[in-house]
Amino acid sequence: MSGNIQSTVTLTITEKNGSLRTRKLNMITKSYDDGTIKRMVKFLDPADVRGTAMLIVDNKDAQDDIWIYLPALKKTRRIVSTEKGKSFMSSEFSNADMSSGSNADFKIRHLPESGKNDVWVIENVPVSEEKADEYGFSRKITFLDKSSLKTKKIDFYNFDDELFKTIEILATQPLEGKEGYVMTDMLASNYFNGRSSRVKFDQVNTSASIPDNTFIADNLSR
Amino acid sequence: MTNFIIKYRWAIISVSVALAVGLGLLIPSSETDPDIRNYIPRNLPSRVTNDSIEKEFGVQDMIIVLFTDSTILKSDDLRQVKEVDRAMSRMEGIGMVNSLYTARKIEGNDGMMVVDPLIDRIPETAGEMEALRQDILANRFARDIVVSSDMTAAAITGTITSSVPEYETLTRIDSVITAQQGDAQILTGGLPYIRQFITGDVNHDAMILIPIALLIMLTVLKLSLGNWRSVLIPFTVVILSTVITLGMIPLLGWKFSIIMCLAPIILISVANNYGIYLVSRYQELSRTDLPVTGKEMVRSITGSLNMPILFSGLTTIAGLLGLLTHSIIPARQVGILAAAGVSLALAMSLMLIPALIYIQHTPGRKPRPPESDKKDLISRALAGISSVVIRRPGRVLLVSLGLTLLLGIGMVFLKIDTNQENFFPHKHPVRRASEIINSKFGGSQTISVMISGDIKDPVLMQKIDDLTQHLKGSEGVGGVFSISDVVREMSKALYEPAEEGYDMIPPTSAAIAQMFELYNMSGNPDDFKQLMNFENTKAHLLVRLSRPDNKIVRDLRDDIKSFTADFPAAVTTGGYAIIMIDFAQKIINGQVSSLAFALIIVLILLSVIFRSVKGGLTGLIPLAASIIIQFGVMGITGVAIDAATALLSSIMIGVGVDFTIQFLWRYKRELSKGATHHEAVTTTYRTTGRSIVINGLSVMAGFSATLFSGFLSIRFFGYLTLLAIGSCLIYAIVVMPAFMLWFKPTFIETKLKRINKNKGKNEKDVMPITSDIGAVTAGLTGAAVRSRAADGQKS
Repeated sequence: MSGNIQSTVTLTITEKNGSLRTRKLNMITKSYDDGTIKRMVKFLDPADVRGTAMLIVDNKDAQDDIWIYLPALKKTRRIVSTEKGKSFMSSEFSNADMSSGSNADFKIRHLPESGKNDVWVIENVPVSEEKADEYGFSRKITFLDKSSLKTKKIDFYNFDDELFKTIEILATQPLEGKEGYVMTDMLASNYFNGRSSRVKFDQVNTSASIPDNTFIADNLSR
Repeated sequence: MTNFIIKYRWAIISVSVALAVGLGLLIPSSETDPDIRNYIPRNLPSRVTNDSIEKEFGVQDMIIVLFTDSTILKSDDLRQVKEVDRAMSRMEGIGMVNSLYTARKIEGNDGMMVVDPLIDRIPETAGEMEALRQDILANRFARDIVVSSDMTAAAITGTITSSVPEYETLTRIDSVITAQQGDAQILTGGLPYIRQFITGDVNHDAMILIPIALLIMLTVLKLSLGNWRSVLIPFTVVILSTVITLGMIPLLGWKFSIIMCLAPIILISVANNYGIYLVSRYQELSRTDLPVTGKEMVRSITGSLNMPILFSGLTTIAGLLGLLTHSIIPARQVGILAAAGVSLALAMSLMLIPALIYIQHTPGRKPRPPESDKKDLISRALAGISSVVIRRPGRVLLVSLGLTLLLGIGMVFLKIDTNQENFFPHKHPVRRASEIINSKFGGSQTISVMISGDIKDPVLMQKIDDLTQHLKGSEGVGGVFSISDVVREMSKALYEPAEEGYDMIPPTSAAIAQMFELYNMSGNPDDFKQLMNFENTKAHLLVRLSRPDNKIVRDLRDDIKSFTADFPAAVTTGGYAIIMIDFAQKIINGQVSSLAFALIIVLILLSVIFRSVKGGLTGLIPLAASIIIQFGVMGITGVAIDAATALLSSIMIGVGVDFTIQFLWRYKRELSKGATHHEAVTTTYRTTGRSIVINGLSVMAGFSATLFSGFLSIRFFGYLTLLAIGSCLIYAIVVMPAFMLWFKPTFIETKLKRINKNKGKNEKDVMPITSDIGAVTAGLTGAAVRSRAADGQKS
């Protein structure tokens, strides 16, 4: 995900036994030149969490800052978390999956099969054990369409070098007035716990001008 | 019968060998089942409940890796913990890992809620180390869970997943631990490790105990029968019946368990007896100067011994079948296997041994007499006992009754133990790890309470919290993990200490829902997995037990039931510890039912043999006394009834009843010949008495192999078997004669009249030939062979 985006998001988590949990959110994302990404998330559904809001500042080389507002308690709290590999809203997506990530954290190379069948196959290996722990995988392999340079899917390998998760890109939308695109429909499947999560962006607006003061804690309760 | 055996001798031999080879080939495919839960049937309520909880919240069996040192707060020790934690967190077969490095601190700080790892880097200075100590002590999710309060031990716990075979996961952990170098001593514990050790020790027992028992039996046979040619005949029956019985285990789809090893041991101890009788008789007849043909020899042996051997075998089988009434699955399996094995040994003894004797018999060849002809120790001891019993039968009865009752008092201290940890000796790594886990980390055994309802309902959440706090203060509870603790901890981060709501359950459902959402966004949602289901409709309280005694667990179960009676939700209580108290109850029920069954069957058999119910009841006296002594000594010495020792009574009844039958038959026979009571007792001592002692000692020798078991429980079983069979033996040869002399029971006298009346007509029919067992086994060490041959000829 990158660029300035305003959209509603439907996050559906499917358990191994078929149980579903759906969250509907409003999300505003803005990317800055220094690599910082700011994101404002407000829950629309289900009813008991409606109004819950979250402000995430994804700092490129420092820990993330998160503020959260709980309407039932009328409390705003800042959450400090250093773990990028952890789950995004209890889904199979990690927080790292939801941000563009830092290339400096990885050793990146084309795999031998890269370029065949009109697909680039690129491997990212964390530069250190600490980074591997932080991201929660030993390597990931990204499959890109050679002509459009759009990501088709990403395979994640665990520390035994076994494939444990795949993220498939089901739909994308071009950024208005800019090069690049936004992924609007993604499915993450975890092969080990049998869970899958789908995040779908609707009413995506990639051209809106988003003022910087959108991303302040005072806005959480509004 | 003789003609049949001779005609089909090769077929009998071929079938026996083919059966042994066929089933023997299955033995290598035998598997081991180390999980004591599988000892009790799947449809038992506690197992059904537990399965439903595990289906929702996963298997609660924990692997625990312990690090101990004078203080664990040293860079080197903390590094060791970190490396093992990292390796375990990355392992596929491990679900949730909980350690110093996965523990979070949730803090409210200047309007911030800080969710951070408890330790992000290893402290270097003394000040940083002290700060970490304070953080650990203040953290309810870390103190006495991942680090002990006294800072002398750290623990990493991990739940097992089914994606990788358990032994592979444990092997990987072991290799990670082996690679560690540092000051901290590392121990492993928890049920998966207990299972691994049980598997190893069961295999060790099978590999060691069976050969030892066979070796002991070979020695007993050599001492009894003298030459190797004679030894090999009954030993062949022992080997063939043992191999067939072991082969039946995989054939029936059963698995080796801790107590399953007892089946071949029982068989080895008992199966040779019948063969000894037959071969001794053969030796006895061979030593006479009359050259007899093979056919005459077989007819003579089987004609005189088949019936008493059959009776002896049937009483043993009856006792063993008493185990079928047990609810413990391996106990039933041991009963079936041992009874089937003894039946097989019996059939082989009656058919295969005569066939082998026929084939190897050479008329005129006399076997070398065993050992010496001098009056041996047993005969001298029996002569001494005989004189005391004859002179003072009343005192003998009084002293034995007094001693029995005195030892019987110990029964009030009798206890049941289903704790698998106690299978292992005190110095075993499993026991040492368990002691540390129980004393410093709340214990590895658990009770699970599942609450089904709207978990976001504040009324229910408050009740869950009340139950959590109540259980934390209960005896034997080392710790409680509950969703209400997480909610309260979050409230501490959201409110200031002085604010209303701090460390409390929020008042509305929406507030709880939003807190859950907050945690999902900030922490790891898998943290909840053990405490609450995905749909927030089921909560799980995990109660760790520092003292998993049966009584404490039973009290806790009852307490939870009454405490949750008014919960606006369904409450089910399960967990390993609850299964174990069900298991204990099953052991008690099984003990009572198997004892009753065996005693009734033996009473019927004895009544038939003596043609008198009174005779049957008299025959039970040694068994009843031995049962009292056995339970009394167990109570006094603190040896508990467990899965293994619970089998003892049935086995003792099956084996021990023979001694009384043999004694009474010979005694009755002497009376029928017109001897006085004193003369009858003296002669019985001189002849059958000796054989009874040898028979008893040989069975005890066989069972003594269990003393080499890796399991404490099986070793206790061994000691108690020696005690139980020993007391049966003493009652049969000391108390029973005194009883006969003192009370002169009518069932002996009545039959005496009839026997005397029938004398000369059909004496053989009226007098079953059990006494011949005495005549033959008395000659086992050869001392009285010649005199008894003459004695036999006279009769």
